[in-house]
Amino acid sequence: MRSILYIFLFSSILLTSVPAADAAGVKEIYRFYCAQCHGLEGKGDGINNREEMPVTPRDHTSAGEMGKLTDEDIISVIKEGGAATSKSTLMPPFMKTLTDDEIIGLKDYLRELCKC
Amino acid sequence: MFNKKIFSFFAVFFLCFLFTGANDLYARDGAALFTQNKCNACHQVEGPATDKTIEDLLRRNGPELWYAGSKFRPGFLGKWLADPQPIRPMEYYSLTEPNKNDHPRLPSEEAKAVAAYLMTLTSGDVGGAGIVARKNIKGKKVFAKEFSCYGCHQMRSRGHIMGGLSGPSLAGARERLNPEWVYAYMVRPKVFKPVKDMPVYSGLVNDKKMRNLSEYVSNLD
Ligand code: HEC
Ligand code: HEC
Ligand code: HEC
Repeated sequence: MRSILYIFLFSSILLTSVPAADAAGVKEIYRFYCAQCHGLEGKGDGINNREEMPVTPRDHTSAGEMGKLTDEDIISVIKEGGAATSKSTLMPPFMKTLTDDEIIGLKDYLRELCKC
Repeated sequence: MFNKKIFSFFAVFFLCFLFTGANDLYARDGAALFTQNKCNACHQVEGPATDKTIEDLLRRNGPELWYAGSKFRPGFLGKWLADPQPIRPMEYYSLTEPNKNDHPRLPSEEAKAVAAYLMTLTSGDVGGAGIVARKNIKGKKVFAKEFSCYGCHQMRSRGHIMGGLSGPSLAGARERLNPEWVYAYMVRPKVFKPVKDMPVYSGLVNDKKMRNLSEYVSNLD
């Protein structure tokens, strides 16, 4: 009985202490890596959005634009960069920078931003 | 006659001193000046890199200098410290405040001494790869087409400055950066800057491309 209790306690610690990427952490990641182009609020108006650039960073709050993308599209474009969805290489690849869990966390965060 | 001999003896002695001992002496003065001017308040001069999280990085007030001697071209630092011009278009890691262009300025003799000191801070991870600054068409392709590095870095293109503002400007990289360091920085990013908002490209770009890319970047004017 006691050992079952221990197993239960132990596994619940394991489960709670290894969150993939918690919400606050994901927002921090977004503001650090993505906001330089997509803007702190995700509107596509970061400091790297200059008029001489061939395309503007996607407005992550736009349901119209973001709604066209499947979860797989979003994940592969973050991993491999714009080339993955035949978009501009101005969107960089983050495969070697972020973990898979962080990238999935970002996908969820983008879905919240666009409400789509 | 005698005076002339003494004079030339001292002249030769003085020249020898200038070329050998003087640099060391200079560097020692430079280290003292670095502390006196409180440069340590914003710059890390002892490696290795220790940042693990985004917060670790955002606590810093300026770029690390513990590998300055491997990063910069000889001659650049002496000039820059006497007359610092913005390298990063924004304040350090700010997404809202433009660079205020208010970096501490040193009198030119002190600047040379501090530069001599900084040039003694080197990294064993830089050098020996045979990278030289040169016009490199293949490298340009990787920079401009395959990865659009200009998305975060300013550069000179047909006489105009263009490009994103979040990274250090690469205009004038030819005068500033050691080509071997550029390559090492791209290939072993964790050694120099484990946390930064530039993506990691090592593992995505093969070695041949990395070499071409580094040569192209090191030659930007
Ligand atoms: C260097 C600037 C830059 C950075 C940094 C950046 N992006 Fe982008 N991103 C772009 C640009 C430009 C586009 C639009 C590409 C196009 O329309 O061709 C884009 C497009 C996208 C798209 C839409 C792709 C599609 O197929 O419509 C997503 C999703 C995206 N970015 C997510 C992110 C995330 C998440 C991050 C941070 C991890 C990030 N981006 C960082 C510039 C950037
Ligand atoms: C208040 C903080 C602060 C102090 C004090 C300070 N620096 Fe800096 N330093 C910075 C910042 C921020 C930058 C980046 C400036 C830029 O990109 O234009 C910088 C850039 C540099 C660079 C170029 C580094 C690179 O990687 O581009 C050198 C060299 C340097 N400082 C040396 C010094 C010396 C020597 C002193 C003392 C006389 C000093 N700094 C004092 C904040 C500081
Ligand atoms: C998402 C923005 C972004 C992209 C894309 C990007 N960089 Fe950077 N880069 C940065 C930032 C930010 C730094 C400064 C990191 C630091 O030292 O804090 C930097 C630093 C550098 C440096 C060192 C400059 C110095 O003076 O310290 C080089 C060289 C460089 N990048 C080359 C490249 C190349 C080549 C590419 C394309 C393959 C590239 N960058 C793509 C943001 C970017």
